[in-house]
Amino acid sequence: MIRNSELWGGLFWLAIGVFVTWAGRDTGLGRLSEPGPGFALFWIGILMCALSLGVIGQAIVSGGATLASLWAGTRWRKVLVVVGLLLVYGAGFQALGFIPCTLALLLALMWFVDPVDGRLATTVAVIATFGVWFALTKWLKIQLPAGILSGILG
Amino acid sequence: MDVITGLSQGFAVALQPVNLLSCFIGVFIGTLVGVLPGIGPTSALALLLPVTLSSTPEAGIIMMAGIYYGSMYGGSTTSILVNIPGEAASVVTCLDGHQMARQGRAGPALGMSALASFAAGTFAVVALMLVAPALARVAVVFGPAEYFSLMVLGLTLLTFLSQGSMAKALLMAAFGVVLGLIGADQITAQPRLTFDRLELLDGIGLIPVVMGLFGVAEILSNLEQDLKREVMMARIGGLWPTLADWKLAKWPILRGTVLGFFLGILPGGGAVIAAFASYALERKLSSTPERFGKGAIEGVAGPEAGNNAAAGGAFIPLLTLGIPPNVVMALLLGAFVMHGLQPGPLLMMQRPDLFWGIVASMYIGNVMLLVLNMPLIGMWVQVLKLPYRVMFPLILMFCLVGVFASGSVVFDVFVMVVFGVLGYLMRKFGYEPAPLVLAFVLGPMLENNLRKSLMLSQGDFTFFVEKPISAVCLGLAVAVLAAPLLPALARRRARLATNQS
Repeated sequence: MIRNSELWGGLFWLAIGVFVTWAGRDTGLGRLSEPGPGFALFWIGILMCALSLGVIGQAIVSGGATLASLWAGTRWRKVLVVVGLLLVYGAGFQALGFIPCTLALLLALMWFVDPVDGRLATTVAVIATFGVWFALTKWLKIQLPAGILSGILG
Repeated sequence: MDVITGLSQGFAVALQPVNLLSCFIGVFIGTLVGVLPGIGPTSALALLLPVTLSSTPEAGIIMMAGIYYGSMYGGSTTSILVNIPGEAASVVTCLDGHQMARQGRAGPALGMSALASFAAGTFAVVALMLVAPALARVAVVFGPAEYFSLMVLGLTLLTFLSQGSMAKALLMAAFGVVLGLIGADQITAQPRLTFDRLELLDGIGLIPVVMGLFGVAEILSNLEQDLKREVMMARIGGLWPTLADWKLAKWPILRGTVLGFFLGILPGGGAVIAAFASYALERKLSSTPERFGKGAIEGVAGPEAGNNAAAGGAFIPLLTLGIPPNVVMALLLGAFVMHGLQPGPLLMMQRPDLFWGIVASMYIGNVMLLVLNMPLIGMWVQVLKLPYRVMFPLILMFCLVGVFASGSVVFDVFVMVVFGVLGYLMRKFGYEPAPLVLAFVLGPMLENNLRKSLMLSQGDFTFFVEKPISAVCLGLAVAVLAAPLLPALARRRARLATNQS
């Protein structure tokens, strides 16, 4: 039972539902003739709790796949690496700039995550990075952070 | 303004060089998106939403509309030739389309698919043109109670028609409303669920949410499986179907068109459901149902007509009521709002040039698609030969750039990553993202109309059932919610979900 993925899914949404209910009450319910800003949140939170209890009940009665089976035979490490790379990209984007971050991300994805031929990876990464930068900044006039290349890119 | 005057004004707008170019770019990108697995019309529209801001509202919205109905055309090409649906609405075309290709009849399958799509797309535009003004006149009298009940019905229908557990789909819709309410309250300006973050005062952006749930999550899901895509290009030959093919396909096209159009209008309906419903209907009506799945041309013609008619029909609730019936239309609503426009009954009166311009551009776009698809099929298949391991980093890059460009805030990149992980986990645990996104868009409107109704009625809930339209919508919503309790309907819904999955 404790490994049942449906149960854990239901418990996760129950926790969210409880939080939303509390947040709604905390924000202010108002009166029925003049509902406050938390009125809708409160009642949707209650609805979420009821629905997640339904999911939990169903999981207890009918069972479900185990948590481990959801990732069995998959390349889940690659997923973790990509998520990590995206977070690093976001963290460095403003300071380092669009070009270094994007180039590094594309190369990391094509060299290490799901490798392709090195020359192809480099060519695609360089053309895509500079192509997108040129199209956005020169044609569409969308500002992208220059970061460490601000001296060169202006 | 009568239809003829409106349409002539629309063509004057749509035939302006910049709008014509936007229409072409839209249907071209739409076809490309339809061809490429891993990126659907939803992600593509979210990605290009910021780009449309640098153009006029007409050009931007014409382009976005073109992407949507263009993707319906593109998806069938890969379904038939390589048995890979480019987007969800073309899944059913694989069944008989690819079988036809294996029997050396790829040409007629592609031709029939393009011609059925064209016929249905054109019918949908004509019907849109005739139905929308009449519906808009009725919608002018809608008050907050009617809008609230209509949105409740739309969300309920979407959860009913989604795959798997209805409780899970309703949970996603509820969570979507909560996400939509994040930020300063529209009436009191009091912050809600902002966790003292200034970035959240204006709420969460639609683009990071959609890019995360559909773009990043799809990539993460694909990445964990070792996708070995074999592109075996079948011999195409002549594209024109034979007389015998036409005899078999004419009624499925007609039925698929009408069915698809009405399913498209229905809140929560859409191209995917239309394609599956049309296939099921044709198999049921056929005197030789055993041919289905083995290369029956009716199995290509009906669903292709269905999904294209649905794509056209989906514009009706958006343009006349301002209520998006599906996620793609929700993004289009976002495009309207970003351009300072509010789709709804008043759009036709205040901006007839825009409304009729969109309608006229859809006629032109359908012709462009027919011209584009028939001779360029070889090129689209070549695109598919690009390995996924090269394609996914590029899609990720476009997601990141698109999200940043939409608001020039790095915070949005993190929001996208969070929703990407959430979307990936939701797929794992069997929760659907579509009800979440639609509810996210409708959430603020839903709350606003609920509060207005309660204020107007001094807190009296009977207000919602005293108004006939509102009462009918709520009655239907209750019936839909109760439907799974009836064994026969529950079985039918389970069958639909199985077919879709």
